[in-house]
Amino acid sequence: MEKSKIAEELRPFFEPKAVAIIGATDKKGKVGNVIFENFKTNKERGIFRGNIYPVNPKLDEIEGYRCYHSIKEVPDDADLAVISIPAKFVPATMRDIAEKGIKSVVIITGGFGELGEEGKRMEREILEIARANGIRVIGPNCVGVYVPDTGVDTVFLPENKMDRPKSGPIAFVTQSGAFAAAMLDWAAGANIGIGKMVSYGNKIDVDDADLMDYFIYDDEIRVVTFYIEGVNDGRKFIEAAKRITAVKPVIALKSGRTEYGAKAASSHTGSLAGADTIYDAVFKQTGIIRAEDFEHMFDMAKAFAKCGLPKGDRIGIITDGGGAGVMASDAVAKFGLRMAELGDETLKFLKEKFPPHAVAGNPTDVVGDTDAQRYRYAIEAFVNDPNVDAIVIITLFQVPLLDEMELIDILSEYAGKSDKPIVAVAMGGKKTEHYAKILEDRGVPVYPTPERGVRALAGLVQYAKYLERRKE
Amino acid sequence: MKEEALKIIEGVLAQGRKSLVEFEAKEILKAYGLPVPEEKLAKTLDEALKYAEEIGYPVVLKLMSPQILHKSDAKVVLLNIKNPEELRQKWEEIHENARRYRPDAEILGVLVAPMLKVGREIIIGVTEDPQFGHALMFGLGGIFVEVLKDVTFRIIPIEEKDAWKMLREIKGYPILSGARGEPPADMKAIVDLMLRVSKLVDDLRDYIKEMDLNPVFVYPEGEGAVVVDARIILK
Repeated sequence: MEKSKIAEELRPFFEPKAVAIIGATDKKGKVGNVIFENFKTNKERGIFRGNIYPVNPKLDEIEGYRCYHSIKEVPDDADLAVISIPAKFVPATMRDIAEKGIKSVVIITGGFGELGEEGKRMEREILEIARANGIRVIGPNCVGVYVPDTGVDTVFLPENKMDRPKSGPIAFVTQSGAFAAAMLDWAAGANIGIGKMVSYGNKIDVDDADLMDYFIYDDEIRVVTFYIEGVNDGRKFIEAAKRITAVKPVIALKSGRTEYGAKAASSHTGSLAGADTIYDAVFKQTGIIRAEDFEHMFDMAKAFAKCGLPKGDRIGIITDGGGAGVMASDAVAKFGLRMAELGDETLKFLKEKFPPHAVAGNPTDVVGDTDAQRYRYAIEAFVNDPNVDAIVIITLFQVPLLDEMELIDILSEYAGKSDKPIVAVAMGGKKTEHYAKILEDRGVPVYPTPERGVRALAGLVQYAKYLERRKE
Repeated sequence: MKEEALKIIEGVLAQGRKSLVEFEAKEILKAYGLPVPEEKLAKTLDEALKYAEEIGYPVVLKLMSPQILHKSDAKVVLLNIKNPEELRQKWEEIHENARRYRPDAEILGVLVAPMLKVGREIIIGVTEDPQFGHALMFGLGGIFVEVLKDVTFRIIPIEEKDAWKMLREIKGYPILSGARGEPPADMKAIVDLMLRVSKLVDDLRDYIKEMDLNPVFVYPEGEGAVVVDARIILK
């Protein structure tokens, strides 16, 4: 698929010139009201810069906005329609949208294919209208699109019930609307930046493959995360996945690890091939990184968002606590990485700079009486050592002589200037969380346990190796 | 390649069958350059005697019947037949076993095959997924596949680097690389096999549903591999 086509087709979903909200209402709590409020609030904040055209045959005005009685009446700059009217009215509305010439439609409304035959028939009708008129459809039965930078927010869960994450270079795509809402809320709390979220529900038209093709050319997005329940067109998915993983990492969380077909298969091979085995194969073959759970998914996404790729799998560990260093070393082995063997110069440098009771090695233990400066020596040495591909820095902020802000300055300085991925591990309670957030806002991914930090790095290594193999 | 394979497939379909007997499956494999033993289908005892001379004793007899897909259950694979005398005797025995197992079994002939030198056993298989299409499976044979299910899959068509990755990612890989002091197995031959199966299935994707090459004997580096038994199930 050529660049311009998919980018042009999907752009209005993410940065519309003007949005028509079909089914907008002044009744608080109604889906059509929440979506209208989202856009209105974002416009007041100066984030959404387009025009907003509520459409409702029974209203002349909603909260100071002129309300149009039909989509056909809205001004011609409308390039995105968001539909939240009962399912039975949607096909007719689609015809009006086609006549109006709007090419991008999000159908929030549920009650289609998920309910049975009549719903499926309506979906086919909608799709026929879309195809005949060059309209792209997200949904139906979905929460749609969230883009913090442009103020597009069709998520019908109000802000007082669901926090929105800040912007960031992570795209998040999911079928399930409930999961989308829960994840956005969680990401907001976990300080994870989401640049674009798409929840496509019944995905009669725009699917994972289309979105992968779009994100190839989206410079705001560095890593794409998918929560996948099922794929309709396997071939299209594989082709699109191969295209995007050549350019940027894709992480997938796949639900439904149940086996199928074991009984129906008449060959040995058939009996061994569960649905999950096949997804595993697809992910390996296309370079998609599989996450075990959503925590794993966003741990990796955070690392991809903030770090470059490592040149190899040799990990260096710096800690101010021996036990945490051992935990990190264990995780290095568990996730198939290697402990770096430090060069002689590194060891010499560290021994010169360290007091006798600090441990130069891998892990390097700056020990409990450390100050920020001792960390600087260790990081400097690891960054310069060609035998180290990626660095895990365990910061137990609790030790008495450590100036937390000074250490944060040092970490973010090296994370900014070194090519090597640097991740931090901060274990502790409220005080630690406070510093972890500051550190993360300064561009260093922070994890609450050594295991999670190392596992996130393992994702970077996996992707780097995949890219290497592609070059062969 | 494709034309020869299609001819066999169409013949089988014309008989109302979905399952190819070993001999037919191997003809298709041969058309795609996969290594199969020098085997011949004998319709009569005289033919069997003649083929056994050509191949050289000891030989193996395998009875081909569309109704008998699990040949060892039916005892219609008889090994290590050393001379014409024994062959005459086993010829009777194999037909007797077939009649006992399935009195209505239609017998297409008896495959006369050489006794193969035993190699490390692998399995290469194909299955079809409703979303992603055909997938290729690779694993070690015997208990590794039966009990440990130490197998790996890729969607067809695969590339050469996929095949190498599959080879190395099974837990039993050290058995192929020679961890216990044996010479390493002929990895290139395994990769070549996988690529040929991928090509075959990609060409014939509208016909083939499932496939097992089980076992395949793999010999030490430079000595190749051979498909010992094969099944193909059509759509």
